[in-house]
Amino acid sequence: MTEEDEAAFDEFLAARSTALLRTAILVCGASAHDAEDLVQHALEKVYRHWSRIRHDNPESYARRTVVNAAISASRRRRVIQEITFARPPETLVDDPDVELRDALLAELRRLPARMRAVLVLRYWEDLSEAETAALMGCSAGTVKSQAARGLARIRERVGTLEGVFG
Amino acid sequence: MRLEEELAGAMEAHVADVHAGPSMGAAVRRRHRARGIRSRTAGAALATAVVAGAVPAYLALDAGATVPSETAAPAPGLGAPSALWTEAPPAPPTATADPDTTADPDASPSEDGSPAMPQDLGDLGDGRRFGGVRFGYLPEGLKWGEWSVKNTFGTTSYSTTWVEPGLEPGMYSVQAVVYRDGAARQAAERMKGYRKQGSEAVVIGGERVHLVRAGEAVGKITEDGTPTALWTEAPGLAVEVMLSPDYAGRLGGKETERELRRIVEGLEPTG
Repeated sequence: MTEEDEAAFDEFLAARSTALLRTAILVCGASAHDAEDLVQHALEKVYRHWSRIRHDNPESYARRTVVNAAISASRRRRVIQEITFARPPETLVDDPDVELRDALLAELRRLPARMRAVLVLRYWEDLSEAETAALMGCSAGTVKSQAARGLARIRERVGTLEGVFG
Repeated sequence: MRLEEELAGAMEAHVADVHAGPSMGAAVRRRHRARGIRSRTAGAALATAVVAGAVPAYLALDAGATVPSETAAPAPGLGAPSALWTEAPPAPPTATADPDTTADPDASPSEDGSPAMPQDLGDLGDGRRFGGVRFGYLPEGLKWGEWSVKNTFGTTSYSTTWVEPGLEPGMYSVQAVVYRDGAARQAAERMKGYRKQGSEAVVIGGERVHLVRAGEAVGKITEDGTPTALWTEAPGLAVEVMLSPDYAGRLGGKETERELRRIVEGLEPTG
């Protein structure tokens, strides 16, 4: 890579690495430390092809790489997750908002990896159905149905806490 | 409030305090260098596996020689001096290595002090004994590269490197792969592929050895590829030795071949 490529990669990291790290945490349900390892691995792929992709939407390429890696990692972690998150936390929480957030995240983690990724991309990254579909390599219809089913599962499990979703 | 909004808020709150560290770029580049070693070795190994349509392996020793056509390619006989290496002017010694590996402009030792390279075989000392063989000869001035992998190149396989002092971590001067069992059978298949390409084994120390230049691209043997020796040492045991193109460039073509021959001759199975 040229010096210009290297500098552009550094600028890209400065602008995007935090967002990619957050996406990885949400999609794979890992700790920040584990997610950082995953993101470094994914960004090495981006770096490898940087000269070619830097002028052609590197953000999309990087996000796709991170999401795919996070989905794979999530599948490997699934058994652990189900043990860890199968039950609501027993600790009493005074703040109902915090309690609800924790419950939502717990249920989000219980979803299948691709379904969870759809919810993260649609509602946290705020991508459109078409953008999410392009990133995940599926149809917009699949994104729509996965999002609807994911929300329905969460609503079913968490709805009793709040009773107002719908 | 709608569930989508609550969920978005929960996700936002969960990661709001997460920030990528300032060392992300250095960490990514370190991984890239570490991967360079694996992929170069894998490339050299795989290059021997898929050889159909590759350029003839034989290059004249004379300076300025070009790759001959397949029909004109000389086929060295057993024991005859092989004519595999173009004689390039020796390059001045530098502390850099392969040009295909991007140097990290911020190159520095790992901040946390942890080894960036795999250590599958543990501390090999001088690195000469592993995988059931001992390398009795190595070019002068090299030291063990302090990393190793097991089964990266098939089951069962072992690999490590030796380096010139001053090379950056992740670079190599000489790399060896020991193949056993299934991996040895795959290596034998690769040698068949060499033969189909026009290579004839030369006899070194009683073994029939393929000396070729293996390109980076899978299946390609190129004029500027990695100088490689591949042979079957015993049933179920094959060995591959590579000199990095940079190191070979400093040695010159004739000395590169001499060193490869000495390494082959010096190899002993240890059980």
